Amino acid sequence: MTAVDLHVSPLGRVEGDLDVRVTIQDGVVTSAWTEASMFRGFEIILRGKDPQAGLIVTPRICGICGGSHLYKAAYALDVAWQTEMPENATLVRNIAQAVETLQSIPKYFYALFAIDLVNKKYSKSPMYEEAVRRFAPYVGEHYQKGVILSNKPVEVYAIFGGQWPHSSFMVPGGVMCAPTLSDVTRSLAILDFWKNEWLEKIWLGGSIDRWLENQTWEDILVWLNESKSHYDSDCGFFIRYCQDVGLDLYGKGVGNYLATGTYFDPASYARPTIDARNAALINRSGIYADGDFFSFDQSRVREDVTHSFYEGTTSRHPFEGETLPIDPALGKKQDKYSWAKSPRYDVPGKGHVPLEVGPLARRVVAGSPGATSHQDYDPLFLNVINSIGPSIMVRQLARMHEAPKYFKWVKQWLHQLNLQESFYKKPVEIDNAKGFGGTEAARGALCDWIVLENGKIANYQVITPTAWNIGPRDKAGVLGPMENALVGSPIVDVTDPIELGHVARSFDSCLVCTVHAYDGKSGKELSRFVVNGMV
Amino acid sequence: MATVLWLQGGACSGNTMSFTTAEEPSVVDLIVDFGLDLIWHPSLGEELGENAKKIFKDVASGARPLDIFVFEGTVIEGPEGSGRFNMFAERPMKDWVNDIAAQAQIVVALGDCACWGGVPATDPNPTSSTGLQFHKRAKGGFLGADFKSKFGLPVINIPGCPAHPDWITQIIVALASGRAGDIALDELHRPLTFFKSFTQTGCTRVQFFEYKQSTTSFGEGTRTGCLFYEFGCRGPMTHSPCNRILWNRQSSKTRAGMPCTGCTEPEFPFFDLAPGTVFKTQKVSGVVPKEVPEGNDHLTYMAHAMAARVAAPQWSKEDMFVV
Repeated sequence: MTAVDLHVSPLGRVEGDLDVRVTIQDGVVTSAWTEASMFRGFEIILRGKDPQAGLIVTPRICGICGGSHLYKAAYALDVAWQTEMPENATLVRNIAQAVETLQSIPKYFYALFAIDLVNKKYSKSPMYEEAVRRFAPYVGEHYQKGVILSNKPVEVYAIFGGQWPHSSFMVPGGVMCAPTLSDVTRSLAILDFWKNEWLEKIWLGGSIDRWLENQTWEDILVWLNESKSHYDSDCGFFIRYCQDVGLDLYGKGVGNYLATGTYFDPASYARPTIDARNAALINRSGIYADGDFFSFDQSRVREDVTHSFYEGTTSRHPFEGETLPIDPALGKKQDKYSWAKSPRYDVPGKGHVPLEVGPLARRVVAGSPGATSHQDYDPLFLNVINSIGPSIMVRQLARMHEAPKYFKWVKQWLHQLNLQESFYKKPVEIDNAKGFGGTEAARGALCDWIVLENGKIANYQVITPTAWNIGPRDKAGVLGPMENALVGSPIVDVTDPIELGHVARSFDSCLVCTVHAYDGKSGKELSRFVVNGMV
Repeated sequence: MATVLWLQGGACSGNTMSFTTAEEPSVVDLIVDFGLDLIWHPSLGEELGENAKKIFKDVASGARPLDIFVFEGTVIEGPEGSGRFNMFAERPMKDWVNDIAAQAQIVVALGDCACWGGVPATDPNPTSSTGLQFHKRAKGGFLGADFKSKFGLPVINIPGCPAHPDWITQIIVALASGRAGDIALDELHRPLTFFKSFTQTGCTRVQFFEYKQSTTSFGEGTRTGCLFYEFGCRGPMTHSPCNRILWNRQSSKTRAGMPCTGCTEPEFPFFDLAPGTVFKTQKVSGVVPKEVPEGNDHLTYMAHAMAARVAAPQWSKEDMFVV
């Protein structure tokens, strides 16, 4: 029996970096700690500032999700100021939020995730050579195409928002832009080019409509084998490769999910409020816990700081949230180990539990009953997790499944724009108010809570998808979702623990933290591993 | 083949994301065609854990020569000078920066945070963040006013929040191809070839500026007018090529109707985001802009504005960017 503590740092490519500390027993991870080790204090900076400061500051929390930060920051102010939202403004916001995600899907897959598929660990796979030809960093044929073509969707963002990343063109009451006809036609052409050249030609090896017919895991297998082009597509290859090297077998996670939803039906959200939000969503919100669905209620969210580098051990709702950093050297003495807080959700009858967020969470929630005519109902991934269980592979497929879906939605929203109508209605600025805004960044639920007093920001709290997923243990010692997903991972080579990278990256965390490395992980340094007391 | 090591301090990865949207050359072109040897990057690096840490150690000790050190994000000095708000590979990131900057032939600060502190250094600067060689407009920063890299250059600042991908790739290509000596810098260490011109240079609203005609509101109001008078646009006071070298090959903020926030200048975010300053022009007596275009004073500005309004033709009062 050997048990070792393995600290992997830096674990790059999770957009920002992340430290992972795991306990390995007989080649399998038995416990895990995810450590975010950089603090910038944005919530502190926002205190006392202009009510609209969040529109400038929060996109800078994350360069890969800046458009998503802007989207929910704008809605938080819309709710606080009780704005009226022209239908065009809702559509433009939907379009911008969605194209950022369309950009992220191939960029994330090829630049951040798939390059691990060519790790030498897999060199014995009969498919390895082909994986290298496709996915090898910089030189892989599809790495090159996927990374470069991922730039196309955000060209559409620039047409409406001026630039990507880091525009602030969404403001309470609408958007700053007023597109012209050629802005719309050019956007359509750019998106079609992207769909033709990458999504259908390389990823699916067939039409998006055929893929979207899939409603079950069995359907996906039928799709895979019905044509050579499907079988040989990157999607087809990815499924077969995962099954060959075992990426369908681990990285399960907590199995409970949260989506805060995104994209609004313009007619249903002309007056953004917290109460009207769930019904107005196109991509629905909700919770899936232990096999049951629950509706999302922001008042049930808490952030626990027991193991986070902040004062105390409180668990507060974000409207009452605090951000009181302490020196990590001091925090470590109090069993704190991460700059991320631990978001928890009070699921009726189950207490405050960790929930996984992200594309898989969205896709599972999309399978819940009760969708209205403007809402997405999509049973595929509820069936997939019930058929084969969640895994690294399933998390990836859920992400990729959104590409054809969102592509179709964006085109539909572009067609719905009425260029003769309004894009902005100037709001009345209310000095004392509270607001909540949420969205789904590419990598999951992202929400702001803002409190305005005397025309200034009195409190501003952001919960990122990364915090939901990589947050540390809570007061009860319950592991965060990524920590939980790491447990059970087989580690073949402790000097190159690629499995941890797969699991961590399957969450596509965009936490910007820096790496907190520890000594002694490679070759003869094995002897320097901290031996776990359980031995 | 030039070696590049790219690290992030108090960063959002926005400059990296911007960099990945580059074309001509793209990230792939830089590495495959231009032979750039990107020995590690937080998002693009292949090595994990111990294998990655060896790279940093070898570069910091001088055992592995480094041509270009690209730093993104602020240098975090808190709490209390310890740097522990930002640990990296067992040490405060600031200590890695100190060691690696001393070994690199050329040091590039990429984005506002690395140049002068950017958003994280906004009051009250909770992490004691600063830039590599400037703190806001004051020379000094983390490495000190007198710092010169081995090649004999100060830190080259490529500001912006984020920097435009072309500013990054063109400067990297110039450095990697031995043209460092051709890069003339302004007093803020920005390459003049990009930062001599104004954000307003090439703005599609410049005719409205000429005749002092204001945009009336956001949304459909931006079909006409200039954003300088009411919406806080800093285009006439900001140095950048945003309207010469378009973003994502398509547009710019001011073209799309968003006021320039001055993000290539050390004061960004301006006025520390104090109440009443976001997307609103600061005025004297409620009429005259507090800040006038660079090189003007209030008297000449007002005289010019009065004449311009008299001269304003009818078309300048109508919509131009129509459906």
